[in-house]
Amino acid sequence: MDHRPFEDWLLDNDQPLTTDQKRQLNTHLRTCSSCTTLAEMNLALKSVKLAAPEVGFSGRFQVRLAAKKHALRRRNFVGFLILTLSVLGLLGLVSWPVLKDLIQSPVNFFSSWISSLVSLWASLQALFRAGMVLFKVAPGFVPAYIWVVILFATGGWSVVWVVSLMKFTKVKQGV
Amino acid sequence: MTDETTWIIQAQQGDDEAFTYLVETYQKPVYNLCYRMLGEPESAEDAAQETFLKVYQNLARYDRERSFATWLLSIAAHHCIDRLRRRRFPSVSIDEDEEGQTDIPDRFAPDPESETTKRQERESLHQCLQSLDPTDRAAVIMRYWQDFSEVEIAQALKLTVPAVKSRLHRARRALADLWEDKPAHMRTERKPYGSPAF
Repeated sequence: MDHRPFEDWLLDNDQPLTTDQKRQLNTHLRTCSSCTTLAEMNLALKSVKLAAPEVGFSGRFQVRLAAKKHALRRRNFVGFLILTLSVLGLLGLVSWPVLKDLIQSPVNFFSSWISSLVSLWASLQALFRAGMVLFKVAPGFVPAYIWVVILFATGGWSVVWVVSLMKFTKVKQGV
Repeated sequence: MTDETTWIIQAQQGDDEAFTYLVETYQKPVYNLCYRMLGEPESAEDAAQETFLKVYQNLARYDRERSFATWLLSIAAHHCIDRLRRRRFPSVSIDEDEEGQTDIPDRFAPDPESETTKRQERESLHQCLQSLDPTDRAAVIMRYWQDFSEVEIAQALKLTVPAVKSRLHRARRALADLWEDKPAHMRTERKPYGSPAF
């Protein structure tokens, strides 16, 4: 038996059938058990009703939401606590040698820190003085043309740099 | 701006009362989808509640250009599909009907026999649905219970429209085969060709 187009109407067509199509389908269904089953199935699906939850669904949701929020807050608090303790522990571990000296002999600790700072300051001053001496003496040793070469080289390098920057950062217009 | 849009905006701004309105409006379609997908009232209740929790947590990501119902049922369908994949053995409750009550015919109803037949038919259909592939099942539920178009089903299930057509075709065919295998008393006694639907 030829089931087309009846199967297509029953399986794929969600649009309402025309009067003529309905008549043809009804005639076919009287003699075709396969298409009758399809039609029965369609009827059963079209006549189903929505299942409803038990009364108080939104109230139960409020309770669940509150519990979820509470659990989230607790988890955040525990997470923050673990992070803080971890950071403090790590800091303690790293600074333990320094702290140990401080605890054992505070006077020695501070005096060694002050002497370190003083020697650093003295070293910086010596370096500055050496630099000033070099700056005053160097022009006498270096010939004038070397200075000219250095000047031009620096200028050329700057030009190349600026041109390169302009070329690579230029925004194309149009197109 | 519709009332629903106002509630959504307010809920996005952290108004829990507005979100409760949304829950009350959509509890039935979401529960129905979960019940038809999972087959048990308890699982359906839990899945529907979890769906609303997910919606609550992700409401900021909701695009107001899209239909809220499609977005919401998409979350519910994917949640149920995930649950079904995690399930080892399918279980179908046949002890309770849609309202969670035992299957005792109402003897005060106008026609108790007819009521029982309808109930058996619904139960039978429910059992047939459980044997479908989860995504096919979701497509059928959205088509027949939520009256979604094929485009809306495609959006909700992240499928193409031809894929939805193909899945609906396959599902209807499979349901008809299962329907045919049911004992005659479990099937409808109506004559399809006598129905105004045709």
